[in-house]
Amino acid sequence: MLKIENLHVKVDGKEILKGLTLTVPTGEVHAVMGPNGSGKSTLANVLAGRPGYEITAGAVTFQGRDLLALAPEDRAREGVFLGFQYPVEIPGVNNVYLLKAAVNAARKHRGLEEVDAFEFLALVREKMRLMRMEESMLSRGVNEGFSGGEKKRNEVLQMLVLEPRLAILDETDSGLDIDALKVVANGVNTLRSAERSLVLVTHYQRLLDYIVPDHVHVLVKGRIARSGDKSLALELERRGYDWVTGEAA
Amino acid sequence: MTSAALSQRVLDEYAAVRESLPAGVVSPERRQEAVQALAARGLPTTREENWRYTNLRPLERARFAPAVVAAADAMGVPAETATPALPLPSGSELPAQLEGFARYTFVDGVFASDLSSPEEQNGLSVHTLRRSARGATSATVFQLPRALPVLGRLPEARLALLNEAFATDTAAIHVGGAAGQPARVEVLFIAVAGADIGTSYPRVQVSLDPASRLILVERHIGAGGGTHFINGLVNVDVGRGAQLTHYRLQQASARATWLDTLSAVLATDARYALLAVNTGGLSARSTTHVQMAGPGAQLVLSVAALGDRQQVQDYFALVEHVAPRARTEQIFRGIASGRARVAFNGKIAVREAAAGTDSRQSLRGLLAGPEAEIDVRPQLEIYTDDVRCSHGATAGKLDDDMLFYLLSRGLSPEVARRLLKWAFLEDVVSKIELPALRRQIEHDLAGQMADAASLKELL
Repeated sequence: MLKIENLHVKVDGKEILKGLTLTVPTGEVHAVMGPNGSGKSTLANVLAGRPGYEITAGAVTFQGRDLLALAPEDRAREGVFLGFQYPVEIPGVNNVYLLKAAVNAARKHRGLEEVDAFEFLALVREKMRLMRMEESMLSRGVNEGFSGGEKKRNEVLQMLVLEPRLAILDETDSGLDIDALKVVANGVNTLRSAERSLVLVTHYQRLLDYIVPDHVHVLVKGRIARSGDKSLALELERRGYDWVTGEAA
Repeated sequence: MTSAALSQRVLDEYAAVRESLPAGVVSPERRQEAVQALAARGLPTTREENWRYTNLRPLERARFAPAVVAAADAMGVPAETATPALPLPSGSELPAQLEGFARYTFVDGVFASDLSSPEEQNGLSVHTLRRSARGATSATVFQLPRALPVLGRLPEARLALLNEAFATDTAAIHVGGAAGQPARVEVLFIAVAGADIGTSYPRVQVSLDPASRLILVERHIGAGGGTHFINGLVNVDVGRGAQLTHYRLQQASARATWLDTLSAVLATDARYALLAVNTGGLSARSTTHVQMAGPGAQLVLSVAALGDRQQVQDYFALVEHVAPRARTEQIFRGIASGRARVAFNGKIAVREAAAGTDSRQSLRGLLAGPEAEIDVRPQLEIYTDDVRCSHGATAGKLDDDMLFYLLSRGLSPEVARRLLKWAFLEDVVSKIELPALRRQIEHDLAGQMADAASLKELL
């Protein structure tokens, strides 16, 4: 599904990713953990195509294609989804309009007809129930006046409606209380399938109690310092990041 | 051309047509006073602070005599009896009529009864002064309002003097005593004659008796796609406890020059919601002067302006608080694309007697092109202590984070930008309480923001 090789990325002239290599096979859930400033969010943003990141070396292929050569909107239409760490508020752009426009953009890309308005609304309502969201949120501006937790739920709602092939969730767990975390994790878990891959970017092990990863990678100073199965996350929790940062230094 | 030479031309043109101007609309004495006042003060120039964003060059080429008078001359008929040139040029499309609204249409500043509703309806009287003067409809003599003195003293309202001097007709709307439902009126002004023929002078007189209510839609469009020259004047008088909701849509032709002055006086506890959407014209300038004359009066002035290509959209608003405890809210949202300039200069003056004034300004401009220009300017002039005045003014580009968010969901950059521009206007558009009118305005706005097929599907 996703293959990242020797990726080097600079932000404002400073190298943040320094030769990152990571492979996420189809159907797997990978967690990327790491201390603050290790480059986790940079990785998520570079994969989604956010401007402002200078790729100085390396390659990223997504389903055999050069992902970095695609415009952000084409990545999305091809099935890459980024769940934002800080979802932006867009007053005046209605939530349901955005969802519909996003779904139709992807459908058009695949040569499909536009979604039927009634079926679409029924689908969205079903997913909202799953995410325990008030239906009134649909007619509000995108994330407008939403609490931190509501924004994160809205991200997962969008993902559920868009059904991406590869979802990258950037600290979707941060700022959530335990109940909201369970709702979010439950939503994400419904999307796990043999055709889909997930990358969970997180600082804490807590999320991984609810979304159990196939593999865990520890990102330190712009590189994967250590990889393992889910027990690695538990070990990190016990010993702290100093354990790997010490080794990597 | 110098200001003095221009003034002289106004005097000459007035002298040439004065006999043909209807005395029932504006008396010859008042016309004469207006011309002289204008000659004494000179026409505005961009050297003046509150005219600096206006494109005043079209004045130099203007023919100030009314287009209808010139057309009547050409046909050899007396100008006073001239009727508008009908039918309208082929391809002209009138906006769909709003349900429940009586519509009165004026072509090149003269009432067109063929395109209008009956003139008496549900206790509301709308007459056109030109016809009244000839005894064709009503014999009522319309009292000219006390708002007029403003013409003489406010430098920003100078162009209204041209309308005063050359006016050809007036839509005079008078709403009597407290009715259950608000009266609903639409006035539609269509500019047809080219600027080379003469000027179109739309003119509206709105007067609300105490405790009465009116919803007024005032629309300006063009037909035939010419270079129209339009100079409008609107006088509004909202009586004690009366409520006026006034929608003004400036949709002049793409090559038109649009100049316009609105002057309003609000009595005690009067409420005035004025919402303007300016999208038309090549060079447009609106001047609005509202006097909060009675205690407890309330004004909400909301303006949306779009400029594209080489359009100039300039708006000057002065709200003057002269009585205590009045409230003002000013909202401006403007978008400049292409090489357009969009300006809003919003001034709030609080005089000594206006203790307890509460005023808020939220002015925002969006730059949507590398060669576009936005000027938003809040001005406060306060002569008393006991006031609450807040203002915010910003001018900037589309937010990169918002843009990336939409792209990351698969929207094309074009649709994403258009959607964000759309969202930017929402603070004004959401204030339109008539669903049918709101849809019309949304479609107009979507049409202005390039080929909006992809947006319309979202509406």
